[in-house]
Amino acid sequence: MNEQELMEAAAAAIVAADEEKAVDLARQALELGLDPVKVINLGYSEGMKQVGDLFERGQVFLPEVIIASEAMVAAVDILEEGLPEAEKEKTAGIAVLGTIEGDVHDIGKGIVATLLRVYGFEVHDLGRDVPLDDFVAKVKETGAHIVGSSALMTTTMVGQRTLEQKLKDAGLRDKVKTMVGGAVVTQHWADKIGADGYAEDAQEAVQKAIEIAETMRG
Amino acid sequence: MNSRERFLAAMRGEPTDRASVFSANQTGTYELMDATGAEWPEAHQKAEPMAKLAAGAHTIIGFDAVRVPYCQTFESEALGSTVKYAGREGVPRIHEHGYKIGDPISYPDDFLERGRIPELIKAVELLKEQVGDSAAVGGNIVGPFSIAANLLGITDVLKASFKKPESLEPYLEVAERAGTELGKALLEAGADFIIIEDMMASIDVISPPIFEKVAQPWEKRQLDGLPSDALTIIHICGKVNSITKQIAETGTTAISVEPTVDAPAMKAILSEFDRPIPLIGGVDAVNTLFSGTAGTVRADVEKALADGYDMIAPGCSIPPSATNEMLKAMVQTAEEAAKK
Repeated sequence: MNEQELMEAAAAAIVAADEEKAVDLARQALELGLDPVKVINLGYSEGMKQVGDLFERGQVFLPEVIIASEAMVAAVDILEEGLPEAEKEKTAGIAVLGTIEGDVHDIGKGIVATLLRVYGFEVHDLGRDVPLDDFVAKVKETGAHIVGSSALMTTTMVGQRTLEQKLKDAGLRDKVKTMVGGAVVTQHWADKIGADGYAEDAQEAVQKAIEIAETMRG
Repeated sequence: MNSRERFLAAMRGEPTDRASVFSANQTGTYELMDATGAEWPEAHQKAEPMAKLAAGAHTIIGFDAVRVPYCQTFESEALGSTVKYAGREGVPRIHEHGYKIGDPISYPDDFLERGRIPELIKAVELLKEQVGDSAAVGGNIVGPFSIAANLLGITDVLKASFKKPESLEPYLEVAERAGTELGKALLEAGADFIIIEDMMASIDVISPPIFEKVAQPWEKRQLDGLPSDALTIIHICGKVNSITKQIAETGTTAISVEPTVDAPAMKAILSEFDRPIPLIGGVDAVNTLFSGTAGTVRADVEKALADGYDMIAPGCSIPPSATNEMLKAMVQTAEEAAKK
């Protein structure tokens, strides 16, 4: 198997949500001495992008997306062993994520956390049902570039507005960009509360986070 | 025609003087809490405030039906999940799921005496006594797939539904039985209809093949287990057009949906069945009842009537911040439409 074939197979393994195959190909890539960064970016990430496109078109559903993203993490974990030390330390940005207190569903947020890690972010996933003050404390502690909150109910959505205010009160709002998502959240709501970014689904959230982090690194 | 008569006629597909208006999903709002003096969290826990707040949907707003409870945690709590409350502002949520896939589970014989279930049954009795002559009384149970998600955690359930659906069976079986037994008890307590909320079995979350494998058969079994003359509503979130036929085939009397669906297309599929299957919904709970005004409510209702909805309701839980003015506008618009 040459490099091109392996990368295509890696992408296909992600699309098929086949973790075993994805991991096996990652090991092969290291044995063949291929560039791990290239294999991640042009192989696995390409597969994940295809999964995102299929999801948008309604051709795959959340269970497949979750399993595909876990397969990707497993493969990337292996490939990272082959990275040079300097490469390992590089981060794309620091992100704090969580589901607003009162909300226990965190499917979308979990996928975003997984994918951001794959794309080189230092991710602090606070989990579900997270008190607003914990978001603020974590942003302060980590010097995060991005804080992303998810809400699935109108009762918890209002917490996203309170979080904006709490970040201002803590003097952090000009240092961190806010992103909002979740089933009931809309672009209209993001604009209304002054959030910096809104995403319809996990794939879009990751894309926006990458763009935001790039502008923040200047 | 009073509210109860209108609602029951609409559910049976019989003629009504105007479109019936109610909510298949939760009806507690802050203004109704102020007006009735019954507030969360007590209205989640005790029969009297539970019934008192629910009655407001009829006595103050003018909805044709009232319903309890306000959250989706009763069955899961009674089966071993722990619940956390959110004060006056919000609804209880699952704190710890209670099970991992592979853990043994069995239906507890004292299920109906566990947790807050006796209070829910009593709330239906109270509603029947207090408003049962003029309004239809509804009892809500949670669909088997959604209870399983509460017991195991949604992420694990989703992964298993794709990789190893048979591993979910013991939980779905207990969840189905729990909901069915509760549904029967609520009917015995005087409920005129049962709503099966299967919010997690949404096509926004699972694929149609997975719905057919792990959600629909259990919904069907649940409906088969309820008395054959019981009036029932299945509520599933999301754009459920692609599973319309499968939902109808569960045997449910009516179907409640979010406004993201293509209602005329759903109606066309439902019209092929040899019984009337009312389509319920039309009012956007988030964009309209949370972010909109009484004016946008009217526009939603007018569009819903034009699109062929048989009964008017919010497509999801009423945001507790929704005002009486907005909810009353639902009823008023239906009344005005009937005069035209």
